[in-house]
Amino acid sequence: MKFSHSQSARANILAKLKKQVKGADYGKLPVETAFDYPEQDFEQQLNQFICQLEANHAQVIKIKPQQIADTLARQLKNRNIASLLYGESSQYSQAIEQLNGFIELTPYDFMLDGNRERLFNDYPASVTGSYCAIAQTGSIVLWPTENEPRTLSLVPPVHFVIVDTNQLYQDFATLIGAQQWQDKLPTNVVLVSGPSKTADIQQTLAYGAHGPKELVVLLLCDEDTL
Amino acid sequence: MTNLNSQHLRKYPEKPQQVYLFGTCLIDSFFPNSGLDAISLLEREGIEVIYPQGQTCCGQPAYNSGYLDEAKQVARQQIQQFPGDMPIVVLSGSCGGMMRHHYADIFKGDGEIQAFCDRIFEFTEFLVHVLDIQLDDKGDKERVALHTSCAARREMGVHITGRKLLGQLNQVELVTHDYESECCGFGGTFSVKHGDISAAMVADKSRHLENAEVLRYISADWGCMMNINGALDYRNSKLKGQHIATFLLNRTQKQESRS
Amino acid sequence: MNNAAQYKIKVQESKYANSARAFRENVARDLDNSELRENFRGAMDYLVDKRKSAFSEREELDCLRQQCKLIKQRCLVKLPLLLEQLEQQLEQNGIVVHWAESITDANEIIAQLIERNNGKSVVKGKSMVSEETALNDYLELQGVECLESDMGEYIVQLAKEHPSHIIMPAIHQNKQQVAKLFAENIDGFDYNTDVDTLIQQGRQVLRDKFCQADVGISGVNFAVAETGTLCLVENEGNGRMCTTVPDLHIAITGIEKVVEYLADVPPLLSLLTRSATGQAISTYFNMISHPRQDGEKDGPKQVHLVLLDNGRSQAFADDELRQTLQCIRCGACMNHCPVYTRIGGHAYGTVYPGPIGKMISPHMLGLEATKDLPTASSLCGACGEVCPVKIPIPKILLRLRQESVKPKSDDKQVMKGQGAGRKALEAKIWKAWSLVHKRPVLYRTSMWFLTRLRGLMPKKLGAWTKVRTAPKPAAKTLHELMAQRSRGIRDEV
Repeated sequence: MKFSHSQSARANILAKLKKQVKGADYGKLPVETAFDYPEQDFEQQLNQFICQLEANHAQVIKIKPQQIADTLARQLKNRNIASLLYGESSQYSQAIEQLNGFIELTPYDFMLDGNRERLFNDYPASVTGSYCAIAQTGSIVLWPTENEPRTLSLVPPVHFVIVDTNQLYQDFATLIGAQQWQDKLPTNVVLVSGPSKTADIQQTLAYGAHGPKELVVLLLCDEDTL
Repeated sequence: MTNLNSQHLRKYPEKPQQVYLFGTCLIDSFFPNSGLDAISLLEREGIEVIYPQGQTCCGQPAYNSGYLDEAKQVARQQIQQFPGDMPIVVLSGSCGGMMRHHYADIFKGDGEIQAFCDRIFEFTEFLVHVLDIQLDDKGDKERVALHTSCAARREMGVHITGRKLLGQLNQVELVTHDYESECCGFGGTFSVKHGDISAAMVADKSRHLENAEVLRYISADWGCMMNINGALDYRNSKLKGQHIATFLLNRTQKQESRS
Repeated sequence: MNNAAQYKIKVQESKYANSARAFRENVARDLDNSELRENFRGAMDYLVDKRKSAFSEREELDCLRQQCKLIKQRCLVKLPLLLEQLEQQLEQNGIVVHWAESITDANEIIAQLIERNNGKSVVKGKSMVSEETALNDYLELQGVECLESDMGEYIVQLAKEHPSHIIMPAIHQNKQQVAKLFAENIDGFDYNTDVDTLIQQGRQVLRDKFCQADVGISGVNFAVAETGTLCLVENEGNGRMCTTVPDLHIAITGIEKVVEYLADVPPLLSLLTRSATGQAISTYFNMISHPRQDGEKDGPKQVHLVLLDNGRSQAFADDELRQTLQCIRCGACMNHCPVYTRIGGHAYGTVYPGPIGKMISPHMLGLEATKDLPTASSLCGACGEVCPVKIPIPKILLRLRQESVKPKSDDKQVMKGQGAGRKALEAKIWKAWSLVHKRPVLYRTSMWFLTRLRGLMPKKLGAWTKVRTAPKPAAKTLHELMAQRSRGIRDEV
């Protein structure tokens, strides 16, 4: 698989670079100081999270876990959508499967290969769970799996995402540190912070560029946070 | 290299009895009255001003053109003209920045250079932070705008001290002009090496100053003023720039100086 | 597609070298274009404002900038080690790493990867490095269509132009121009300046292409050595499409993009998005560590990374110039640049315009082709003030000016094209200038003459007097007036 000229380029580039930093003392590098962000309590974090998402045109709906199916049903009906793509045997699949019979519920149980037309054209909406979330930037961490593939949250134009407020972290740095991400990154992780957008035409914001046009966040809250 | 615009980090000396004045080559040959007015202001505060006849130019023109050796030769000569421990007051934030910050770079390794650089003060900086000058406005009501040279702003914080000084004049209304912190397009040799870009920049700056609807704009840098005044004059504008030393002197004494 | 054996991987001069040489003509042309001037003024005002709002806490901004500068400097001083570690981690993860010294090498690798995999339809996410290599042109010569999927890049491709800004490629156009472009190039689209309509049209065209594509090409914002992860920043979703749907994903980036730890990413990301467009974070932050693994239903089966040098190692070799490589490609420098605002991005003739372009292009294209760039700045410092990684841009421009006028006989060869800006006459002038200015008596005498001959001062002084009146020397110098004072004569002029 490797190209011979790539190997010689590698040797040349590394030689040039190494020559320059020969003898560098990596122990004597200056101390790097991170900014000490004031700690926010849960309520502040939750508010921040919701504000950021709404400012980015996501729709945020606070619900109890038992209300997942009902909320989805209502939101789909509002949009005149009668079908939903989801991941089987996933975090919230049992709740989602309560919609069976009410709408056309399709599990993403096929390989993308040979099914691209189908994925791109047949599913107006999808629903996924999420790994955790970040308050500071209003970001939802998607950690795709075999059951909830990467394109599930990308291709259908309306994306419903279920977020557990108990998995909310103040900021990205805190999250990485707390969960020691460097030890366990999967094939792909995506931080999603709103529906797709662009300001490429005369700096005018437009939503629904290539990713989902709508991001609907079902925010699972405990009784007291509702 | 010292922190640029480090006014808030600087330790300012007590009011001295004597200072050196670095007039700048532009003031020397083209606008000497500004130099005289600056000296009058300092003398009125009880300071003896020493003007070494051996001073010529800070070396920035050659330095900015990439001719480092030539700039160093001239810079070394300037350093020799200001021996002793006295503060050196510089009548330009651009030249001030050159001598306070860039000299430390170009003479890196010279153990004594930092001591020299630490004695450099831009004129408005000196008036505010060392003299704590108190200005008594004797003039009539007037609106002015303030233009600060980019180097003066970013290397010496002159936009802050300039504002402070004008703010003390209670008959003077300081008006903000559009895109106030944007460059006027002088940049020394830039104005001739890339004359068309410079022309576009000074055209905008002139227009923004005119839109401020003032009779006069003030600046602490003759480089910028030569550029902007030249452009305004070319368009037969009524607006003209005046050096801050002249403006402050005139406002605080009964008789106008001839600048 | 041509037989690989027919190829000589000959290093070709970038097409940008010629357009960079035409800087002065380009500037004259674009300064005169009032629609362009208006477009840029509006765009820069917007981006400057957005950034300002995102950085309302001065203390936080200062702390983050210092932290990120040190992070980048650490990653640079460890660069060769980190590149080796990155390669090792990526390959352990199943991502193949290739190295390219020149732009031709890079293009050739990508072309061959596409050929080996029978790639017919290529979609590209935004990648400035692929612009640098002029990848699209190269692939076109091989008969491979490479479609830009970022809205701004798509627009620019339709217009047969190249990007004029590193973040917003079509910033030089207003919506009327885009509407006209779409109407003229997209079947069935009628002229309509409603931005939502335009974007939906782009979405429709490109959605089909994503569905069909067998190759996706992307850039990389951060390549994490610790974990072997490629990180991409985007708002539109086309980056995710290009890196997820096709079976083959090829990423290309510069060698300076590697960071050491995953923990280095959050502060850099925070500064990047806020400096670029004033956003707390981009809509999507995509972290790719593997090709499709067993059991997974989608994702590319192959992922490749091409690491490009193209002059970066030259910048690296000099302690001062190495700071250029701290750049995280946010675009804040050009947004605040009074020169860029007026001449626009295309006038530079280089892939990277604005202050960063002035610093990096001489390494990529040589100082000879780019000799007008280092001087095309008033050194106002607005760029350095906003650079998230505290690159001392005016200092570096000054240094490039020094390299540009070095005598050709100078032993220390720091840069290709050193001395290309040296003019014999100018060198003589500065020599004479220094002779006068280091001899006080000679200086005072010369200035005496200047003042006494002020009446003979020419009214025309080249570029200066095209738009300004000439300044007139005073009747007496300050030196003279002070000398008189010391003799008891109080005079003014």
